[in-house]
This record gives sequence, structure tokens and C-alpha cells, in this order.
Amino acid sequence: MSAPTSSFRDGRGFDRILVWITLGFLIVFSAFPLVYNVIMSFQNVDLFTLASFDRPFVGLDNYDEVLTRNATQIIVRNTAVFVVLSVAAQLSIGFALALFFQQRFPGATWLRGLFLAGWIMPGLVVGGVWSFILAGDFGVLNWLLQTLGVTDDKIFWLSDPSKSLYSVIIANVWVGVPFNMILLSVGLAAIPDDIYEAAELDGAGRVWRFLTITLPLMRAQLGAVISLGIIFTLQQFDLFAALTQGGPSNGSNVMQYWSWELSFQDYRIGQGSAVSVLMILVVIGVAAIYVRSTRHEHAA
Amino acid sequence: MNMQIEIDQIDKYYGAYHALKSVDVRIPQGQFVALVGPSGCGKSTLLRTIAGLETISSGAIRIAGADVSSAPPRQRDLAMVFQSYALYPHKTVAGNMTYALRLKGMNRAQARARAEEIAAITGLEKLMDRYPRELSGGQRQRVAMGRAIVREPQAFLFDEPLSNLDAALRVHMRAEIRKLHDRIGATSVYVTHDQIEAMTMADHVVVMRAGVIEQQGAPLDLYDRPVNRFVAGFIGSPAMNFVPARVGDDGGHVILDLPGSPRLTFDGHRPAGEAVIVGLRPEHLIPGTGDNALSLPIANVERTGSATFVRTATDPDVMIAANDRLAGVTTGTITVTIRPELIYLFSPETDGALRTG
Repeated sequence: MSAPTSSFRDGRGFDRILVWITLGFLIVFSAFPLVYNVIMSFQNVDLFTLASFDRPFVGLDNYDEVLTRNATQIIVRNTAVFVVLSVAAQLSIGFALALFFQQRFPGATWLRGLFLAGWIMPGLVVGGVWSFILAGDFGVLNWLLQTLGVTDDKIFWLSDPSKSLYSVIIANVWVGVPFNMILLSVGLAAIPDDIYEAAELDGAGRVWRFLTITLPLMRAQLGAVISLGIIFTLQQFDLFAALTQGGPSNGSNVMQYWSWELSFQDYRIGQGSAVSVLMILVVIGVAAIYVRSTRHEHAA
Repeated sequence: MNMQIEIDQIDKYYGAYHALKSVDVRIPQGQFVALVGPSGCGKSTLLRTIAGLETISSGAIRIAGADVSSAPPRQRDLAMVFQSYALYPHKTVAGNMTYALRLKGMNRAQARARAEEIAAITGLEKLMDRYPRELSGGQRQRVAMGRAIVREPQAFLFDEPLSNLDAALRVHMRAEIRKLHDRIGATSVYVTHDQIEAMTMADHVVVMRAGVIEQQGAPLDLYDRPVNRFVAGFIGSPAMNFVPARVGDDGGHVILDLPGSPRLTFDGHRPAGEAVIVGLRPEHLIPGTGDNALSLPIANVERTGSATFVRTATDPDVMIAANDRLAGVTTGTITVTIRPELIYLFSPETDGALRTG
């Protein structure tokens, strides 16, 4: 490797231009809004001070306010349930599908490609489709359950406070499974067949091969998929907007949606920012785990 | 003799493709058998059917007397050394070696002690806690061997285990594998495309082509008495020369289809006028004049120091391998002699041997 200054002296600064373009993009579109958001979370921002940069600093008041609200507890718990269940289901279904498509059968590649449909669709469209499926009076799911005799009465998936969060989780799992499956498929394909054959000759049955060969060799991919899954799930906004709007009575409200509500519906922008800063802290923690797991991947 | 592996008339189809055709091999306890042939001949497929990694379409495989034709690999108690070594990348050398023992239910300490024992004879003692990625090619090869030996299997299966090593290490490991085989006294089946490996390591060589066993036997028997032109050309290096010819009037000599129509006397008798293919081993053609001589124009001369290879400017060309420098021989013609009993004759129609050395 050449010293960092040599390419500059060579008159070939192209590599630096590339670095600066990327950095510039990140500074303007990521770092600046991030810092601005953090600043706002310490200020009193409302409709009257929105246009001015010179706003009164209120210290930790915004944090105090959002953390002591009645709704806080239920929203934090909903967020945790949403993330844990979504990621767990996405991961297990995605992994199962990845293993399934790893078997060579006619059309396997084709069918796997079709699964991507869910992932490439805009969240609002997915939300629209699922609101038809989950609708209480004319929903497809209720029709199916009633026809099959699973239930006699209509289930109000979106308007029953005890069920609305799980309805969004179902839709979110559907959105996230293809991503999990594709990433894990790549990892599975990278494990050479002869390692499995060696294990088979060494006396390992199917389950044991999965536990002692597949799982350890997939550690890096699993770490990446879990951390990215947590991040994507914490970003999931469209489905809430399309399906439940966080309701009824915060029954399906989560922090990301709440932050938006505070900022753009109640215009308590400082408090909305405080919620998003709290989420950023969580995401940083998860991102650290992600970076660690990909570093492990390079070492292997 | 006590048969350790019996392969009884097995056939293997991949769809319509007939990969193994009525293959029949019997391997006594303790024997080192090499399966050799050009790529695509079915030798690896045969090894994988013994291992149970491929199913057979018909026939039977018995290991130590038990029919395992439809048993999964883990019930066959065989250890395999793969071409890529197939070490478990997430396990240390010790972890690789104890994996099978732990699966058999041996406790951690016992398995480790057993692995240490084998590590001592394979030269791995100091590498026990390294990961495969931290090892050189030769070391990985040893781990693959150690992992197989530690299990004390019914037989060892080798799938071109030396082809990823450099030439010098390959020669060294060749001897080492054979030494380990003798020391352990186990039965080994060794797949290779390299006839030198097969000849030098094995007690019994099986030559395959297109899913068929062309010939099997002791290495030198194959060299001395090949049943057909394919085996004759495959065994021996440099390869045997083949020259079309016709049997002369007295039935005891051939007239070669080469410039000057040279005559060579052979041991034995064939019908006069019969069309034949004469097989001449390069090392049997001795430079110098005398009885049964052959003078041919030289195309090029290669000297390796220990041997000299002369290729003639004829069609077909003839390779001569001499054990001296042949100083002064560079261009013009070269005269060689051959003993009548070293002349091989093959049928041009069937490629079968009509007369061997």
C-alpha cells in the first residue's frame, strides 16, 4: 500500500475525490440532520420558534417530559415487543426458507427470487394490502378463518387494542422475511458441501450437522441479519401509518411513530426529537454489535 | 483372504448417464488400493459410493462383511480425506480431530488424549490449538489425515489428497501416507489421476475409463502385462509409443509403418499379414546398434541430467527415454535396439493386447 500522500503527489487525487464526495454526502444528509436533531432535543421548539435557529435551551426538560408521560411505558413496551417478535419471526422464517431453498429442486432459484417481491414494495403499499387482509368487516383473513371454522366471530385485528400491535408485527414480518432469507442464503451457499460430507462421515446426523456446522459457520451472517433487522424494525414507520396510526389508544404505538406524532401532529418538536435521540442511542449500540460481527467475518 | 471392502457388480446412473458400469472390486484387509484414470472416468464416483455419499443404482457394497449398500455414510464407519481437506473452519486442529470421537460419545478429556496421541505421529503436536486458516497447505493435509486416523475406521478413503500441494511436498507426503498406512495396518482406497502416485503407493491398482474397470492388479503386472492399449498408454511415464504395423511373412516379425519400413522381431507368433499396433515403451528403446535395431530421424532432444528424451520426426512420433546423456546426439538420425520380448502388440480393431512383455 502506498502512503496516503503519494497518490496526491502523483497528481492522481481521484481516490480522494471519491472519499470527499462520500463524506460530503454523509455530512450534509446524515451528520447535519443528526446533530440538528440532537440540538433540538435540548430546546423548546414549537410552531412559533420553528423558523428561527435561536430557540431557548431547556436542558433535559424534553427528556423528562417524554419519559414521565402516561403513555411512555406502554409505548416503550410496544416498541420492545415489536422489535423482539418481528426480528425473531423474520429470522426464524427467513432462515427456514433459506435452508429450504438450499435444497436443489427445480425452480428453487426462481421461487426464491419471487420472495423478494415483498421487500421491494413500498411500505405504504404493503400496509395498504395488509389493511385489506386484516380488515375486520370485509378482510380476507377473517373470511378465511371463518370459512375454515377456526373462529365464529369476526376478529377486529386493527381496532382491538390487544391485537393491533400484533397485526402490524405480522405485516412487518412479511416485509422482512425476504431480506433475511437472501442474506442467509448467501451465507449458506458459502459453506462448502464437502464440510457437510466430512461431518456426515464423522457420524453427524442432520440435526447435529445443523447445530455444529451450519450455525457456527453462520455466526457472522446471523449477527449481521439480527442487527440490521433491529435497525430496520426500529425504522418501520409506513406500516403503522397505513394500518393503525398507533392506535387504538396507543395500543400499537411505538417510539418511531410516537416521535413523528409528537413532532408533526402535536408540534412538540423538541419532545419528538428527544424520543428520536433515545432511539439513536439504541441503534448505535446495535450498530456496534453489527460492526463487530462483520469484522469477525473478515477474520474468518 | 479376509475381505474388508467388497464392491459387487455395482452400477450407477445419473439420469440417463451411466457413470459406473458393473464395477467389481474386492479389497482385502490391510491393502492399499489405488483407483486411477483420467478425469471423468468414474474413480471419484466409485469412492463416493463406497463412502455412501452417492447411492448406487444396483449391485452391493459390503464393508467388513456387512451389506451397507443403502446405509447412510455415518453408519459405514469410514474416514475420508478430501481433496480440499474439508476441515471444519470454526474448529481448532484439536476440535477437528475430536469431532467424530465426541459424536461417538467419548468424553472431552479422553478424546483430547486420543487426539494428542495421533498428533504425535502425524507431527501436529504444536498445532493443536490453531485454526485451519492459520495453517499451510501441508499442515492442513496432515490435519485431514490426523482427523481420519484418530477415528480408527474400517477403512480410509482418499480423494486426490495431494493434488493441492506443490510437487516436492507431494512426493514427500506420498511416502508419508504409505508409511502411516503400513504403521496403522488399515485398509485404504486412494483416488488419483496420477499414475505415478498409484504405482508407487498402492498394492493393487484399479485402472478405470468411462465408468468401466479396464484392468486391476499389482502395479508392475499392469506395467508388464496391460490388457489393452488404454492401460498400456496410461501406465508408465513417458507413455508407451504406438506404431501401426503389419506382421511379416514368417509371423515372427513386424514391419513398422515408419520411414524405411523397419522390421522388428518379436517373441511369439502371429498370422502373417495381420494388421497390428506395436507398443514400444520409451525406456525399452536402447540407443546403439545391434540386433532388432531401428533408425529414425530426430526431431528434438531434451536432457534432464539423469535422463535424455529423444522425440523422432516421424508420424507417429516415437519417444525414446535413455538413462545417459547421449552426448553429441542432437540432429540427424538415432539408432535404437529393443529386445524381442519387450515388444507389445495390440489389435487395431479392439485395442486388446495380442502380445505383452
